[in-house]
Amino acid sequence: MTEPILQVKNLRTDFFTDDGVVKAVRDVSFDLMPGETLGIVGESGCGKSVTALSILGLVQPPGKIVGGEVLLRGQDLLKLSPSEMRDVRGKDVAMIFQDPLSSLNPVLKVGFQIEEAMLAHREARTGIHQRAVDLLKQVRIPAAENRVKDYPHQFSGGMRQRAMIAMGLSNEPSVLIADEPTTALDVTVQAQILELLRDLNQELGTSIMLITHNLGVVAGLCKRVIVMYAGEIVEEGPVEQIFEHPQHPYTWSLLRAVPRIDSNRHARLQSIEGLPPDLIQPPPGCAFHPRCPFRVEKCFTDDPPLVGVGPNQRAACWVTMDRAYDEMGAADMQDIRPGAASGIHPKGRVAPGSASEAEVTADIQGG
Amino acid sequence: MAASAVASPEQYLGEVLAREQTSLWADAWRRLKRNRLALVGAVYLTLLVLVALLAIVWTPYPVDHQGVVPSYAAPSLAGTPFPHLLGGDASARDILSRLMVGAQISLIVGVGTQIAVLAVGIPLGLVAGFYRGPIDAILTFIINVFYGIPDLLVALILVFVLSGGTGKPRLEYIIIAIAGTRWMDMARLVRGQTLSLREREFVEAAKASGARPIKTIFGHILPNSLGPIIVQATLGIPQAILFEAFLSFLGLGVPPPTPSWGAMASDGIQSMRIAVHIVLAPSIALSVTLMAFNFLGDGLRDALDPRQKR
Repeated sequence: MTEPILQVKNLRTDFFTDDGVVKAVRDVSFDLMPGETLGIVGESGCGKSVTALSILGLVQPPGKIVGGEVLLRGQDLLKLSPSEMRDVRGKDVAMIFQDPLSSLNPVLKVGFQIEEAMLAHREARTGIHQRAVDLLKQVRIPAAENRVKDYPHQFSGGMRQRAMIAMGLSNEPSVLIADEPTTALDVTVQAQILELLRDLNQELGTSIMLITHNLGVVAGLCKRVIVMYAGEIVEEGPVEQIFEHPQHPYTWSLLRAVPRIDSNRHARLQSIEGLPPDLIQPPPGCAFHPRCPFRVEKCFTDDPPLVGVGPNQRAACWVTMDRAYDEMGAADMQDIRPGAASGIHPKGRVAPGSASEAEVTADIQGG
Repeated sequence: MAASAVASPEQYLGEVLAREQTSLWADAWRRLKRNRLALVGAVYLTLLVLVALLAIVWTPYPVDHQGVVPSYAAPSLAGTPFPHLLGGDASARDILSRLMVGAQISLIVGVGTQIAVLAVGIPLGLVAGFYRGPIDAILTFIINVFYGIPDLLVALILVFVLSGGTGKPRLEYIIIAIAGTRWMDMARLVRGQTLSLREREFVEAAKASGARPIKTIFGHILPNSLGPIIVQATLGIPQAILFEAFLSFLGLGVPPPTPSWGAMASDGIQSMRIAVHIVLAPSIALSVTLMAFNFLGDGLRDALDPRQKR
């Protein structure tokens, strides 16, 4: 059994805002194996990016890592001094960001910026220009010899992201964190970038941690996926398994919400009712229960642990989809509003006669 | 590139795309050239610099020599060996010669002041904006204190202190004194730029690639704030020139007989009724120079503002 290159253990990151403490990452643990491609998916604000920034120690005030460990080859990055941490960034763990235009300095030539990224971790200037050209070639930028002299605004969106990837790879990191690398790009370019990442993963053996809200991107690149909700991991496992047999209702709802090319064009797009919870005061019990169609009484009070639900698959749910299919008729459900399947609505949580209660009643009758 | 006779489509495309090497600065220069007033200002200032340089080695008449021309002589083509184009002043000195040397003084004061302002304002602004916290609070406090004291008072105190309590000004003291009243604008501008730039993604990307703070500050933040800094410095030059003229006018500037434009105007005003040209010559030179700097500064502002892509 190989050792994981990166281990995140019980990571907790809070943001101390004027309105209260936002618990952005709540007790997240996962491993990244050498050469692995790991996807982290979830809605906006579920803590994916903060997890990535925490790994690199780049959380800005008022954010602060309040607990846990980030082990790179067994060494806790959170215990490093700022200058030791700088040596890790870009060299062992590199990161590429969502918007490649704003991630490149507009007044500096692309080649120069790649060279700078290399110089952050070495003294000698010899050969770095050629290496910058080679890197641009490696990320499939045509006429790389000329393009190194270009400014970022002379690059197309896809080329900029390729340049960012070249920069990220310049010091041959063992882990590459890609935070929504394709979100700002159009679909054909997205596919090219994903293909590039996949090739580089195979050629160089770099572990890739891909953060995205796009399940299609995960399916295209990753072997394993982690689903996050409200700062917690709700499900984790091999991609095919998660896609075919999701066990957490949130994962199940996410997959249902993906528009399918073979679906009836008149069918309404399935969305998840409600909004992600307020992370200053996360709901008691399971964070997803206010939006979950399959919730049971226990979900209101007890936070479910992440437990094994299949080979290599773990989910944090008291019900799990197996039971939802067997007992609650999840297979042919149309109404997936909160509590729709289990029929459990909180007593005394909604004031009698209020609009929300009327809606809830309508739900039950309609369902 | 000529090595391969048949270029692949990719190579060809790459070459075509790479041909138009327009940097931000080239773009700015292109926009500046289209601004007539700025161009006129730039041409005038180039001539002024040449005149000032010429004055180092040659002026029609020695600047301090009295009696080269009749006192209060009106501008004319008369005079040997050179015509007294701008006439003579009360002390019978050639005004054109004095004006040429005065251009030196004005340019040295204007540019020198801005160099001092940049040397102080840029590092302070960068450090305060990047690190924020107590450093920023202290600097902001000092800036506000300086803003609260009248410029003239600051300048006079600085000249007094620098000259060891004698109050005898020298050109260097004047420059430092004026810079002492002007550095806050630059520090505040750079601080503001830094505050906004430090939140930009490329700064975060630089941090994520392990760049040291010093590299992030001077490699990423400073180059991106150069545009506003250049504009501010250009517009600061005429202010400094004017302030020097003002000090000299009050008799607190460059000591006589050095022909500062302000001192010349001050002399001229006493004989304004008999010979108005004595006050007009330096005043017009001053006004035109100030206008030229302002036109150029405004032109630079338009040219360097990326939102005004025309």
